[in-house]
Amino acid sequence: MKRITFYFILLTILSLLMAACSPAAQAATPTPTTSPLTFTDGLKRTVTLNAPAARIISLAPSNTEILFAIGAGEQVVGRDDFSDYPADAKNLPDIGGSNGVYNYEKIASLKPDLVIASELNTPDQVKSLEDLKINVYYLSNPPDLEGMFTNLVIVGELSGHKAQAETLVDSLRQRVKAVQDKVAGITTRPTIFYELDATDPAKPFTAGPTTFIDQLIQLAGGVNIAGSLSSPWPQISLEEILVENPDMILLGDAAYGNSPDQVKQRAGWSDLKAVKDGNIQVFDDNLVSRPGPRLVDGLEILAKLIHPELFK
Amino acid sequence: MLDIKNLSVAYGERLVLHRLSLELPAGQILGVIGPNGAGKSTLIRTLSGILEPQSGQVHVMGYNLPELNPTQRARLIAVVPQANQLPPAFTAWETVLMGRTAHLNWLGQTSSHDDEIVRQAMQRTDTLDLADRRVGELSGGEQQRLLLARALAQAAPLLLMDEPTAHLDLQYQYNLLQQIRGLVTRERLAVMIVLHDLNLVSRYTDRVALLVKGELRALGSPKEVLTADLLSQAYHTPLQVLSLEKSGLPYVLRSNSPLMRACIKPSSKSSASIRR
Amino acid sequence: MKNTARPYLFSFLLLVGALLLSVAVGSVSIPPMTLLNLFIGGVTARPLTEDTTTLSTILFNLRLPRTALVAMTGAALAGSGTSYQGLFRNPLADPYLIGVASGAGLGAVLAMSANWPYTTLGLLGIPLAAFIGAILTVGAVYQLARVRRTIPTTNLILAGVAVSSFATAITSFLMINSTGEMRRALVWLLGGSTMTGWQPVIALLPYITLGLGTLVTMGHALNVLQFGDEQAQQLGLPVQRVRVTIILAASLTTAAAVSFSGVIGFIGLIVPHIVRMVWSSDYRHMLPLSMISGAGLLLIADVLARVVMAPQELPVGIITALAGAPFFLWVLRRAKQQHLW
Repeated sequence: MKRITFYFILLTILSLLMAACSPAAQAATPTPTTSPLTFTDGLKRTVTLNAPAARIISLAPSNTEILFAIGAGEQVVGRDDFSDYPADAKNLPDIGGSNGVYNYEKIASLKPDLVIASELNTPDQVKSLEDLKINVYYLSNPPDLEGMFTNLVIVGELSGHKAQAETLVDSLRQRVKAVQDKVAGITTRPTIFYELDATDPAKPFTAGPTTFIDQLIQLAGGVNIAGSLSSPWPQISLEEILVENPDMILLGDAAYGNSPDQVKQRAGWSDLKAVKDGNIQVFDDNLVSRPGPRLVDGLEILAKLIHPELFK
Repeated sequence: MLDIKNLSVAYGERLVLHRLSLELPAGQILGVIGPNGAGKSTLIRTLSGILEPQSGQVHVMGYNLPELNPTQRARLIAVVPQANQLPPAFTAWETVLMGRTAHLNWLGQTSSHDDEIVRQAMQRTDTLDLADRRVGELSGGEQQRLLLARALAQAAPLLLMDEPTAHLDLQYQYNLLQQIRGLVTRERLAVMIVLHDLNLVSRYTDRVALLVKGELRALGSPKEVLTADLLSQAYHTPLQVLSLEKSGLPYVLRSNSPLMRACIKPSSKSSASIRR
Repeated sequence: MKNTARPYLFSFLLLVGALLLSVAVGSVSIPPMTLLNLFIGGVTARPLTEDTTTLSTILFNLRLPRTALVAMTGAALAGSGTSYQGLFRNPLADPYLIGVASGAGLGAVLAMSANWPYTTLGLLGIPLAAFIGAILTVGAVYQLARVRRTIPTTNLILAGVAVSSFATAITSFLMINSTGEMRRALVWLLGGSTMTGWQPVIALLPYITLGLGTLVTMGHALNVLQFGDEQAQQLGLPVQRVRVTIILAASLTTAAAVSFSGVIGFIGLIVPHIVRMVWSSDYRHMLPLSMISGAGLLLIADVLARVVMAPQELPVGIITALAGAPFFLWVLRRAKQQHLW
């Protein structure tokens, strides 16, 4: 048995070496005419462009929204399945993304000079694109609004719309500040339950700490009842919801067919204050789950829902 | 050829064969008889390497059996097992060809020599005309003859047979045993054969071993072992043994059977007392 | 002689046809003549023009390596499946019987929750973890089933089922606890390779060659094993040694294949039956024929996976299951009448 183990380890090392030494294409670095733009992306890779990208493919809906928001919409030549905002994006060629599988042939045939990936993408997907001699920039998820602003500027630099991006960031900052100012004077913070998935109404999925939902609810002057749970995307039991007895229920899963009436009919939910008061609101989850400029839209809507009295 | 000394075999705690000793020279057919559970099949399986002896020694042609690997062992010992399910998809020819395994290389490449041996084996067992048929379509008796042919194809000097006549028609039973007798004489094989039919044992074996509860109760010629005393005690049933006129061989039947009351006279040589 | 050559000819033609199909089909339609030109150009290192760069990239960096990977995987799964069906004398045996799939799945899902550095070795992290998971699981099953020096078949199957269930349970637990990776894990478990390019092909090659090379020589031994362990031993086959060799070779091959291609079901189960029904029950022929046919059939399934819901790509495990299950039932009906087992 010992001999077998030895040969086996030898074989593993050998094949790893072979795989590691196999000819891998380098990311395209064509001869620079002007001073090249160099970036370090979220995977700590060095990405070099000679000029701002003119043909961009987006692999995530958040990236698509960012590109259009900073005025680079014309440069987008392809987008993933889920990119549905703004409306113009829907007309662009779809390069896959459902089931986590992208259509590399299509991507290659669109001859992009930059593909912007997100944390929805795996490192091997980035590698596959590199092997096709395509430039990839992996845009990490921002931890907070400031991080999102930074991402906007990065995409601005990548696409040659830096100034526009910075202007957008300024206006977004102002809007955030406006909400903060309004909320500063509140005396009470309503408790909120944000529902992500209630396939099992006894244990719905919600958003926990560090998520944007949690951060925005706080900024909007509310308290997320799941805010002190241990993981970002936990399942919370109905019992705990009953104990917390939130003032408001936000249905982030409204797009999947959940409605306030449907909630009222759920076994055991009728005892909740929010249900009795009829304080169940539908909410477009895309506004708070895509790390792009619409996060600020989401913040504003949340503030209006949570503190309607401030916005009369 | 086969030399067993104080062989003991156990299944876990239970001793199934207890200090068995016997010798089987080449050119001899040894019949093994005894009631169910006596250890007959255990003996066969131990000799063929399936079970490990707890103690004792077994030598075949001078080789110490437990030290041999399966291939070496198969060149010395061939087994005709009790008729059980043969893989139905192989043809009869392919099945008998399996008997050559111990003589073939790792890849199982056969030569015309192997083919010739298979052909002969099938001819001797009257199965040659079944050669291209799938085993799944054959009757129990035909399959049994194939098992014998396979063992013959193995060309081993010691043959172990576990109830080889079980599913055969009478004619084939006699044929088979006569074939074996012929082979033993011509090629100096040694054969150990477990049989239930005591009269076949009487007629076709040279020596008989009577096993009861794992012990060797008697070992000797058919006349010596097939006696009313020994058999009645071993099988727990009253038996009478007659001596056939022409051959002098013992003939076993139940006591008070109608046949006894017919014209055959009990011989004075055989034991006269009939256990009640 | 012509009779024994015919199945090989036929299955080889099937494979060649499937190879060509796999190279010719894709989202970007490249007409056959262009493909041929590109191929010759690539092989002779002809300089590329503006137009042909992209197409050449697609051909050499996407289609050819994928075709090679899928073919190797199909051969590996079918070859292992045939070996296991012979070894366990059970028509329901498939390459995942003693825990390879569940072990690989556990390894892969564990690895998915870690952040691998973007280096060559880091990118091989998940396949490596899957491989190690598979091997460790088979090792555990082996130890559990062992009775002194022998490994009885029933013990193997029982231990395999028990360990697989355990590994699967842990995997499910991990998946539920990290909703972020759930999607990725599910895709992996449904089968289909996530890596493109030649790297996986090169990494897989030694294992597949060694494993399938060993298995293909075990045809005679598997034939003898059909008579049962006792009779096989009495006929002179070193049963324990043969068994260990087959389990080792088949597990190695399957583990390697699963590490890069995820868990693709049905190929390992069905191809041996097809080969047995159409051609032969002789394992000396069944093994190579299964490998060739397995490669061809999985290639066809992969083409379907790309085409059926274009531009979306289905995991190939879904195609093999959807096509495989009814086909299997049909095979079952026909074979019952033919005394095939």
